[in-house]
Amino acid sequence: MLNTVLAILLASSLAVAGGAWSLVSVLNNRQGTGALVVGAWTAFPKIGSPDADPYSKARTSREGILALGSAEGIAFSATTDTAGDALRAECSYRIEGNVPTSRFWTLVANGDQPAPERPARLPALNSQSVLRRADSSFAVTVAAHPAAGNWLQNSGTGPMALVLTIYDTNLTTGSEFSEILMPGIEPLGCDA
Amino acid sequence: MRKFVYAAIVGLIGAGIVHVAILLLLPTMSPRDAWSRLAAQADLYQTTPYVTDSDVAGPAGIADPYFQAVACRFDLGEGVAHVQGSGVVPFWSASVYDRSGQNIYSLNDRSAKDEQLDIVILTPAQMVDMRKAPLEELENAVFVETPIDEGIVVVRGFAPDQTWVRKVADFLGAIDCVPETS
Repeated sequence: MLNTVLAILLASSLAVAGGAWSLVSVLNNRQGTGALVVGAWTAFPKIGSPDADPYSKARTSREGILALGSAEGIAFSATTDTAGDALRAECSYRIEGNVPTSRFWTLVANGDQPAPERPARLPALNSQSVLRRADSSFAVTVAAHPAAGNWLQNSGTGPMALVLTIYDTNLTTGSEFSEILMPGIEPLGCDA
Repeated sequence: MRKFVYAAIVGLIGAGIVHVAILLLLPTMSPRDAWSRLAAQADLYQTTPYVTDSDVAGPAGIADPYFQAVACRFDLGEGVAHVQGSGVVPFWSASVYDRSGQNIYSLNDRSAKDEQLDIVILTPAQMVDMRKAPLEELENAVFVETPIDEGIVVVRGFAPDQTWVRKVADFLGAIDCVPETS
């Protein structure tokens, strides 16, 4: 009799705890379903739309996200360089190449500092203030120290993410995702 | 012993069922979703600043520092929702979300008439009424027909440099979000 009660308890607690834990761990893992990966960059083209998969929908609700619509833009984030090594705030990087056709884009660097130490305004650049070469490609240096050309100043130490958001682009309105070219991220060196 | 092995198997299958159940219930029951957050900030038909989250969010969720945004919750039971703004900013975009935060319609300044923000959100039934008796003040508006009752409109404005920040704030601050009845 006692064995039966214990068995039922085991089964039900395993079901509740296991179900909740597995869902939370899937939702916290951002490389989820529906991701579009181009080089080091990852975007979720369908997130926040009615066509999104159930996991994206749950994530949107759980985190209170109001995602950009298809007429607005699409955000690509990178937490590694093109070679696959994690981005770190104390290191310098060169972001070089072209961005898909769009009206403008913004590039934001985000360290992993806790809220009080995070700068009020994150270091950022937008395409209207970026110098380009004759073939319209550009190079941005992400570094703590001043750099020639386009300079995105980062600060702090620890893991870093870069978010490149492309606004008013035909990417989100029907072009082939396989044709997307994104700038590469090359490491330049680190502060000791 | 066999009983416990059996219980563990049942528990694992149950875990799968619980996983799927919570997954499907979350969009309708989340206490932290955008609607609940905005409801704590402002009433229906009141525009309120909305901190723009990046939709992919890096380690901590990144807001685009070049953007400002306002949100307004609407309830089509009170009439059609009319969102209107005037002024010139380098770029604005507007999105209509349903109650659970799904983006159901979006447009930007290039897709609007004269680059002016003028949107009417209405249900198919209200659209039928509107066709019968069009309201004069809505003749330039973009009509967004959706089968939802409650929802959120977010208007985002882009300030490429410091000189635009004030103008974008004024543009967003002056946005009108009102229910209209015919």
